[in-house]
Amino acid sequence: MAQAVWNLRGRLRRATGAWLPRAGTLDDGEVILKQRRVFILPTRAGLGFALLLMVLLIGSINYMLGLGFGLTFLALSCALVDMVATNRNLAHLALQQGRVAPVFAGQEAQFELQVFNRTRLARYAVRADFADVREPRHVADIAPGTHAILTLAVPTLQRGWLAPERVKLSTRFPLGLFNAWSYWRPATRALVYPRPEDGAPPLPLDGGGGGKLRAAGHDDFAGVRNYQAGDSPRQLAWRQIARLGSEYGGALVSKHFEGGGGDQLVLDFDALPASLDLDTRLSRMTRWVLDAESRALPYAFRLGALRFDPALGAAHQAACLRALALYGIEDAA
Amino acid sequence: MKLPAIALSRDKADTLLLLGTAVLVLAPHTLHLPLWVSLLCGATLAWRAAITLRGKRMPPALVLLPVAVAAMAGVQFSYQTLLGKDAGVAMLVLLVAFKMLEMHARRDLFVVIFLCFFLVLTNFFYAQGIGSALLMAASVLLLLATQLSFQFTGAVPPLRTRLAMAGRMLAFAAPIAIVLFVVFPRIHGPLWSMPGDAGGARSGLSEQMAPGQMSNLALSEEPAFRVRFEGRPPVQAQLYWRGPVLDFFDGLTWSRGASRASGRDLHLSVGGESIDYEVTLEPSQSRWVFTLEMPGALPEVPGHALRISPQFELTSTEPLSSRVRYRASSHLEFAFQRGPTLDDAGRWLLLPYGFNPRALAAGRALRQLADPAQRVEAVLKGFREQPFHYTLAPPLLGRHTVDEFLYATRSGFCEHYSGAFVFLMRAAGVPARVVTGYQGGEINPLDGFMTVRQSDAHAWAEVWIAGHGWQRIDPTAAVAPERVQRGLDASVPRPPPFGIEALRGMNPFQGSSNAWMAQLRNAVNAANNGWNQWVLNYTPERQRDVVRELQRMLFGWPFIALLASACCAVLLLRYLRRRGETDPVDALYSAMCKRLAMLGLARAPDEGPSAYAARVADADTLSPESRGAASEFLRRYSAWRYAPPAADPRLKATLKSLLLLVK
Repeated sequence: MAQAVWNLRGRLRRATGAWLPRAGTLDDGEVILKQRRVFILPTRAGLGFALLLMVLLIGSINYMLGLGFGLTFLALSCALVDMVATNRNLAHLALQQGRVAPVFAGQEAQFELQVFNRTRLARYAVRADFADVREPRHVADIAPGTHAILTLAVPTLQRGWLAPERVKLSTRFPLGLFNAWSYWRPATRALVYPRPEDGAPPLPLDGGGGGKLRAAGHDDFAGVRNYQAGDSPRQLAWRQIARLGSEYGGALVSKHFEGGGGDQLVLDFDALPASLDLDTRLSRMTRWVLDAESRALPYAFRLGALRFDPALGAAHQAACLRALALYGIEDAA
Repeated sequence: MKLPAIALSRDKADTLLLLGTAVLVLAPHTLHLPLWVSLLCGATLAWRAAITLRGKRMPPALVLLPVAVAAMAGVQFSYQTLLGKDAGVAMLVLLVAFKMLEMHARRDLFVVIFLCFFLVLTNFFYAQGIGSALLMAASVLLLLATQLSFQFTGAVPPLRTRLAMAGRMLAFAAPIAIVLFVVFPRIHGPLWSMPGDAGGARSGLSEQMAPGQMSNLALSEEPAFRVRFEGRPPVQAQLYWRGPVLDFFDGLTWSRGASRASGRDLHLSVGGESIDYEVTLEPSQSRWVFTLEMPGALPEVPGHALRISPQFELTSTEPLSSRVRYRASSHLEFAFQRGPTLDDAGRWLLLPYGFNPRALAAGRALRQLADPAQRVEAVLKGFREQPFHYTLAPPLLGRHTVDEFLYATRSGFCEHYSGAFVFLMRAAGVPARVVTGYQGGEINPLDGFMTVRQSDAHAWAEVWIAGHGWQRIDPTAAVAPERVQRGLDASVPRPPPFGIEALRGMNPFQGSSNAWMAQLRNAVNAANNGWNQWVLNYTPERQRDVVRELQRMLFGWPFIALLASACCAVLLLRYLRRRGETDPVDALYSAMCKRLAMLGLARAPDEGPSAYAARVADADTLSPESRGAASEFLRRYSAWRYAPPAADPRLKATLKSLLLLVK
């Protein structure tokens, strides 16, 4: 019996999942979880409570307990009130997608989810995660007039755009007898840069494919600087990290090397040996972009038809990395 | 999911709350549980509290299992069974206590809370007063607060807030519960009978009586039956509801002798005015049907065939397991077997050999009075004038019960008096027998029903005098006339109101001349009565009446009109509120965004109206006039939205016309 109910639950879940936010219909902009979007079913504990109610009712009938009927109906009404309260705990929340920082392949893309509570009702224990995760990993309480930011992490494997799975918000508050849930498919995507190559050759400081190398860039230790995304683990200044310790909130620092300079640095995709496969070449370019930035060497960037003049800075780096991430990918918008 | 137990003080607080709730739920059970069960539970809960507070580990199953098995054996020993109501409740109580020591997962919490809900129900086996209802409300409130507390994942509000949340849920639930209580279809119980349920604590009339063998008469306030009189009810002293007739005395116990014939010819003649009434007999599992002495004709009990014995005992052929209602008509003046002789007179003179020598001798001595009526009067005079007194807790008596009662203890209740009287009469050569039944009844001023309770059970005597027939003699009335004239209340203190011992102090106002106190007492009685009528005895029959009344009320046009207008008012209010919420200008803006989105120019979520306007102005997909109108719209909207409010009464109209231009 219980198994049958489970199966039914599973089927219902799949069914509702299939028809609600259909694949391709993305929730653009702000989404308000209207009552219609919130589903509700009893939890396992709720089924247990139903069994308890049956037992209470039968006991009251069998022993003719007038007050027993009172208790039975009071408990039943409490469950009904709980059902409404669980629904209300989720309904009328407003959802917005937050920023998604670009990441390197292999890192986790962090999707920010902003949940606004513009009602006068405090929301407790609102759980959120991607729909395919069994036990939601994120929980938030949202006081009236405030919002919570939930960051859902997705591991990345490939460069390019990464669209998140459907997000499922659910709650069992207040009594845990019912589970209310709703789906949200945010129209957002994360840009995934190629993975920086480990052990890449040093920067091609002659502007060519790597003839005139100035390997000094890895030898002249010039101090430490804050860790930047993409720094190789070998570059981490472990001694300094340990010394700074908790004082700096456990911030990571990387060793900074000086070297090279003078000559113009050109990172040219086409100059890389064609024997390497595409992804390796992109990885190497990514590594070089990061290295050049970390060594503050202005670099020109060439990728296919794309040509950037020598420059330095976050915007330049972002443009280069974006071009690398989307190289050869259709949907490059 | 494991509870990250014990390490966090929050979990400690939650566990302690659960323990407190369990204590509240278990506390009323200590009144009827064996002492060792209460002590064991108390110790277990205290142990659990100590484990929680000191952050120790829970005992392993290896320790718990033998204790649990021993406890089960103890229940078997105490109750001689593991089945049945009382033993089952004891087992449940122990189960809840032990489960506290074996809580590992969130699921176990629900198990404990659900068991507690069930224990709240089982408490109603023993008490169902208004006090029990209040206790139930408090228990449910705490149970909800506990269940709620375990659902928080972040910061937990203080206990008071959580109690308030639970209280609010309860407040919303109560009206629904009341509606369900009234309209949920009721059926007659029981569905089945558990072993040990029958013959349980329910005190009623038994077909035996052994004065002096029981030192305490249980006073059950349970109604035996209710009566509605057509006219004025007779005075209390006339209300004798006839039940089993006991004629065989073995020295200790009076019981019914073998009844040979069915009462074909009863030789009953009645006179005077007839009293018409309707009796609603509570289910009793016995066959006895009660009428006022003496009915002129056999009442008709629907669904049951009635028999009448020569002693005028009315019984049904089948046990009365459900409530029955019947009409009867009685006469207070009657003559029963008024012939000159009695056929089986010897049967009513039988006395056991070797018991009560003094009483026997005293009875024999009465024979010198020629007229049997004089012998009756002499004995009653003795009861009146010697220091006999009426008590519900008389001392126990030994072998010669009648002797000890008449000459030593001189205190007892109706059983003692009627038994001793019949003994003396038989010794004096007057045919006599004990009649049991109910005496009196309480008129409820609210609905005019008279309730006859189990505590109104009574025993009196009948003596046969030639030419007069069987005469009712109530020797108890000779000792405690108030018992018969005003009911049991007057002669012995009642149990405390609502069954709460602490309220006992409120009882001394019985018989108080203070009008205010009397009023209060009436109010308390009325509340108790209403409780009994409407909550505890809300039977299928009563429900049918209520539902019929409700239907008449609900389907009349005034109510429907009221309901319809209320619905309209609510809808109107909601509509007005929703209108008030969205500004009409904002609504026009949304409409414009939608229109543009349809034309392939959806607004980006982070795009403000100005940026959007710029993009729209550059879009080549739109016709020039659409483009112009849209960007003009957006410009005006942006100005209105972000500029200091300059009242432009024509803005709405302008925007509306611009919106229509975008195609």
